[in-house]
Amino acid sequence: MSDEDEDDSSGSMVRPYTITRGRTAPERDNLTLITVLTTVEEEARVALARGSRSGPRNLQPEHRMILNQCRRPAAVAEVAAGLDLPVSVTKILLDDLISQGLLLARAPLSVARASGGVDLGLLTAVREGLRRL
Amino acid sequence: MAPTAPTPPAPPAAPAAVKILIAGGFGVGKTTLVGSVSEVAPLRTEELLTRASVGVDDLSGVDSKNTTTVALDFGRITVNADLVVYLFGTPGQERFWFMWNDLVNGALGGIVIADTRRLDTSFASIDFFESRGIPFVVAINCFHAHNTRTPDEIRAALDLDPQVPMLLGDVRERSFGRDLLLALVDHLMDLSAVRAAPVG
Repeated sequence: MSDEDEDDSSGSMVRPYTITRGRTAPERDNLTLITVLTTVEEEARVALARGSRSGPRNLQPEHRMILNQCRRPAAVAEVAAGLDLPVSVTKILLDDLISQGLLLARAPLSVARASGGVDLGLLTAVREGLRRL
Repeated sequence: MAPTAPTPPAPPAAPAAVKILIAGGFGVGKTTLVGSVSEVAPLRTEELLTRASVGVDDLSGVDSKNTTTVALDFGRITVNADLVVYLFGTPGQERFWFMWNDLVNGALGGIVIADTRRLDTSFASIDFFESRGIPFVVAINCFHAHNTRTPDEIRAALDLDPQVPMLLGDVRERSFGRDLLLALVDHLMDLSAVRAAPVG
């Protein structure tokens, strides 16, 4: 494995916000890197079947790829990696699908420290999972 | 709502997610550690960085585009059907950290990897977690096997709080990665217990 991280260059030949039709921010910015997304099968089937008719609700190829990937729940970061698109661009596309009811988003578990530390039940579950590694 | 409306089928249950950050200087083995414990080969994701948000002095080596990207590698551990832990390597160059608010938000805790030959490269990561109140453990990567310093010397050199766990090992080993994660969870449990204890 190559060690590591820093790769400042973008391999994309397309201007990053072309895919979002020039939008640089989602309508609602409540998606995080680990918000988990799941395709709503029934609705997605209908939307995918609409094909290439034009219109505001028309799905772009990237939208279709997301709906396919999220048949198995995936985090925002995983979707971005799968599309090979920057996270900020991916969030806009995800927001399109959420607002059309085609994707469900599950927010990360709260680990708020102000209210007396991380939930012990959560930590116990994580610990059990890690012991199997 | 019409009483005759059919009940929509239940969507497949999505697991909830938590996040652990892996930090340390450039080339210290962050991605290696992610890979040693992740159930998938480390994935890479990128965020856009606009020229306006980077100090002009920092642009040496960056071409003339108005946007560039900063990459981070991550992996996942499925704990059970309802819970997934994501491990994110933080960008090694501290100058990029300002944009990773999303990375810090909701993080359970962190692991700082240090290399005994250049401990100073982990100072920034330790400061990063301390200043944001994120609990962390320190991994001394003994991959090069010519560590001549005692754990006490390393702890003193890093100016670590006594309660911060420090483990020595090889980040390429899955068992060491697991021990680090368990040490972090135990540390979080200790902190929770302290805070939950009644006062007086």
